[in-house]
Amino acid sequence: MKRPEALPALVLGLLLIPASGPAAEDETLTVVSWGGVYEESQRIAYFDPFEEETGIEVEVVEYDGNFEGLRRELENGDTEWDVIDLVSANARRGCSEGLLRPIDPDILPPAPDGTPAREDFIEGALLRCAVVQLVFSTVVAYDERAFPGEKPTTIEDLFDTQRFPGKRAFRKMPGAILEWALLSYGVPRSQLYDLLSTRRGMDLAFRRLQEIREDIVWWQDPGEPARLLAEGEVAMASGFNGRFFEERTQGSPISIIWDNQILDYDAWAIPANSDQPELAEQFIAFATQPERMAEQVRHIPYGPSRHSAMRRLGLDERTLAPITSQLPTAEHHLGTAIWEDSEWYARTEAFRQRLFDNWLAEGDPFTDSKGGS
Amino acid sequence: MQALYRITVLALLSIAIGTLASLAAIGFVELVAWLNDVLLVAPRARIVWETRPLLVMAATILAPTLGGLVVGLMLSRLISQGRGFTPPDAILAVQTRTPMPSFRDGMVSSLAAALSLGAGASVGQYGPMAYLGAQIGALGARLNLGIAHLQGVAIGCGVAAAISTAFNAPIAGLVFAHEVILRHYSLRAFAPTTVAAATGYVFANVVFEREPLFTVAFEGVKHSYEFVFFALEGILCAFIAIAFMRLILACQNLSDRMSLPFAFRPMLAGLAVGLVALELPEVMGIGYEALRFATIEGAFAGYELALLVAAKIVLTALCLGFGFPGGVFSPSLLIGILFGALFGMIVAQFAPFHTSGIVVYAICGMMAVTSPVIGAPLTTIIVVFELTRSYPLTIAAMVSVVFANLVAFRLFGRSIFDVQLLKRGCDLARGRDGAILSHTCLTDYMVTDYPRCDRKDSLGSLRARLREQSWDTLFVTDAAGQYLGTITARHILEQESECTAGEACVRSPVIFDETTSIRAAMDSLVDFLGEAAPVISAQDGRLIGVAPEGVVISAYLDISRELRREENEAA
Repeated sequence: MKRPEALPALVLGLLLIPASGPAAEDETLTVVSWGGVYEESQRIAYFDPFEEETGIEVEVVEYDGNFEGLRRELENGDTEWDVIDLVSANARRGCSEGLLRPIDPDILPPAPDGTPAREDFIEGALLRCAVVQLVFSTVVAYDERAFPGEKPTTIEDLFDTQRFPGKRAFRKMPGAILEWALLSYGVPRSQLYDLLSTRRGMDLAFRRLQEIREDIVWWQDPGEPARLLAEGEVAMASGFNGRFFEERTQGSPISIIWDNQILDYDAWAIPANSDQPELAEQFIAFATQPERMAEQVRHIPYGPSRHSAMRRLGLDERTLAPITSQLPTAEHHLGTAIWEDSEWYARTEAFRQRLFDNWLAEGDPFTDSKGGS
Repeated sequence: MQALYRITVLALLSIAIGTLASLAAIGFVELVAWLNDVLLVAPRARIVWETRPLLVMAATILAPTLGGLVVGLMLSRLISQGRGFTPPDAILAVQTRTPMPSFRDGMVSSLAAALSLGAGASVGQYGPMAYLGAQIGALGARLNLGIAHLQGVAIGCGVAAAISTAFNAPIAGLVFAHEVILRHYSLRAFAPTTVAAATGYVFANVVFEREPLFTVAFEGVKHSYEFVFFALEGILCAFIAIAFMRLILACQNLSDRMSLPFAFRPMLAGLAVGLVALELPEVMGIGYEALRFATIEGAFAGYELALLVAAKIVLTALCLGFGFPGGVFSPSLLIGILFGALFGMIVAQFAPFHTSGIVVYAICGMMAVTSPVIGAPLTTIIVVFELTRSYPLTIAAMVSVVFANLVAFRLFGRSIFDVQLLKRGCDLARGRDGAILSHTCLTDYMVTDYPRCDRKDSLGSLRARLREQSWDTLFVTDAAGQYLGTITARHILEQESECTAGEACVRSPVIFDETTSIRAAMDSLVDFLGEAAPVISAQDGRLIGVAPEGVVISAYLDISRELRREENEAA
C-alpha cells in the first residue's frame, strides 16, 4: 500500500478504506532474509531497535537467496517485500533486469566522526541498486570427530575422499563448488574466473565433482550444513562462515578450513515496485549506522562494510578472542582468499545453472551439446 | 667530472626509459585485454553471450577478419615501409648503429599490433611490447646528451623494462636485452639496462600490483632418469621450432609472391583464424587459458593436443607471414607447452617406469620450443625460474632448452630474427663488428685526393707526373668524369709514349660504389692486386673516390677498437 503523500490522497484513502486499520497495515516493513542464527543477529541489531525507535513492525520473510526465487516474486510487479538482503551478484543482476530500485547513497548516515558515508564504506560497497552491508565467506568446515588423525587443511582435501573419507554437504547451486573443484587442479586464483569461462574449465570442474558424486549431500537452507556437521551426518560441508562459528560456540566440534575461502558482499536492496520505498530507505539508513553494524557482528562474525563499524569491534563475549580475528576479512584468513567475481556470477547465472542441471540429471554438464566456448 | 656526469645522466635516462617503457607495456596489455573483451575474443566475454551462439560465431569469424583488414590498411597507408615492426628492426638498429624507423611509424605499428592481438590474430604480444620499449629507448637516445653510442644502451633499456614488466621477470628482461638486442656484455650497457629492468618490475609489481603470469605447483623431478627424457624432448622441440620457423618464412615468401595488395593479406589470415576458431577457440590470441590447462593432467586428450599444436603452428605462420604485426614468443610458448604436455602424456603412457607428472614436461616443452625461435637460451631458462619460482623446474627446462638450441642452431640458425635479418642482408653470425662493418659505407673512408688523368693524356706526359707523385697508379676519366680505367706505372713503361691514357688503361677488376660496405670491400680486396680500387657513383658512373687497401684496414681497426673500448667501459 502506497503511503499517502498528499492530503487529498490521504482523505480519499481514509474515505475508501474505513475502519479496517490502514494505519496498522502501513506500519509494517517486510524484510526478506536468510533465517536461522543470521536472522537472529539481524533481529537483535536491526529489527528490534528499528521497531523500538519508529514503532513500525518488521516482518521477516525467509528465502533461500536464489535469483530465480527473487525474480519470481518481483517480476509480476505486485510484491509485499520492502527490503531484501541479497548477495552482490543478485543485486547486480536484479538491477540490470530492472527488478530493483536504484538507491541514492546520500540517504546513508555519516560516520560518528562526520566522515561521509561514501568514504566510510569499503570500496565497491555502494552499488547502483544496493548497499553492501557486510562481507561474508563461503568456506568448507569439517567435523573434528570424523578425522581424529590427520585433519583436512586445503581445498584439495575436500575432493580427496581416499585420505579424508566421509560425506560432503554442498549447497545445491552451481557456485563455490565449481571454483573449488577447478582450484583443486592447482590453477592460480587470479585466472580462476577466466578459466571457468571456458568449456574446458567447466568440464574439469564437473569432472572433479563427478569423482565424489556418491559422497555429496545437497543442502538449500543456509542453516543446514552446520546442523549436518553437528549431527555427524556429513564429514565436511560448504557453508557460510558465520553459521559454522555460531554452531561451534554452541559446543559442536566444527573447524573451518579457511584455504580458498570465497568472499562475497551481502547487500540491502529495495524492489523496483516497492509499496513504501521511503520506509525501506529509512530502514536501510538505520541498519547501516556503524553502531548497528557492529552490534550484528557481535552476534555473527561477518565483516562490516564500514570502516567506522570495524573500529567499534572488541572482544567476543563467548570466546574472549578479538571479534576481528574471527572475521573472514581478518589478515590471517586472506592469504588464499578468493573474492567472488559477482559481475561474472551475475552474467553467467543461466549458463552455470544449465550445466549444473545437466550434470545432476546426466552426469555430464554438456549433454545438451550446446555448451560454452 | 666527466665520469660523474655520465653516470648521473645514464641513471636518470634509464629510469625515465624504464618508467615509460613499463607504462607503455602495461597500456599495451590493457588495450589488448579491453579489445578482447569488446570483440568477444576472451572466453569471459564469449560466455556471457553463450545463449546466442550465432552472435558468438559471427564475432569469431568477423573479429580477426575485419581486424586484419584494418591492420592491413593501417600498415600499408600510414607506415612508410608499409609493414609492421618487430624485434629484428630493433636488433638491426642496435647492431649496425643505424637509426630506428621513425617514432610515428613505430607507434602506428604498435597500435596495429595491439589491434591484431585484440581481434584475436594468432600472434604474440611480447615482440610488439619489446619493440615498443625499443622505440621509447630510441627516443631517449635522440636527446643530445653528449654520450657516444647511446642508442644501443637506450634501446636495451627500453626492451629490458618492457619484458620485465610483461613477465614480471626483471632478470629475464635484463638478460633478454643482452642476449637478443645488445649481443655483448659490458658494464656500460649492463648497469643502465638493470636499472631500467628494475624500474619496470617496480611498476609491474608495486605500483599496479599485477599478478604473476604463470604459477604452477611442482614438487620436483622424482627420478633421475627423467633427465634423459628432458634432453630427448628438447631435441624433438627443436624440430617443432624449426618447422614453425620454416613455415613462417614460407608464408612470408608466399605472401610476397601474391598479387593481392598488401593491405588485404592480413584479412585472409584472419579469416583462416576465425574459421578454425569455430572448432578450436584456443587458437585465437595469446591463449592464456590453453596455456594454463596444458599443465593439468587430463585437461586435453592426446589428439586434442596434437591438433592444437598443428593448428597453432600453421595459423601463426599464416598470420605473421601475411603481415599481421606481432611476435613469435607467445605462440611459441603455447605450441611448446601443448607439445610438451603431449610428450609427457606419451612418456607416461608407454614408458615402463614412473614419471614426475605432466607439469615438468609441459614447461620443458614450452621453453625448448621458444628458445630456438627467439635464439635466447639463457633468457628462457631465467623466465622459467622467475615465473614458476621453482628450482627443480628450471633445471629440467635448462636441459631441454640447450638440446633444443644445439639442434636448431645446426639445422636452421640462431633464431628466426637472425634468419629474417639475413634475408634483409644483415649477417649477424659475423659478430657485432661484422654487422657494423657491413653497415658502414666505404665512402666515409675513401680517399678523394688521388691522381687522375683524362683519357686523352699521352703516356709520355703521365710518365713525368708519375715521377713527381707518390702513387704508382693513375685513374682515367672522360670529360664527364666517368671512370674508364686504371693505369699503372707498368702500363706506362710497357706502352708507347704516344699512346693515350684511354687506350692504355685497364678497367679495375674490383669496382666499388656508394652502397659498398667496409665488409664487402674487405671481401673483394682479398684477391685484388693494385694500389687502390675505384669508387664510382652507381647513378652516372662518375669516379667519386678510390679505396686503397690501407683505408679499408684502418676502417676495420677503428671499428674493432671502438667496440672493444665500448665493451670494456664502465659507464
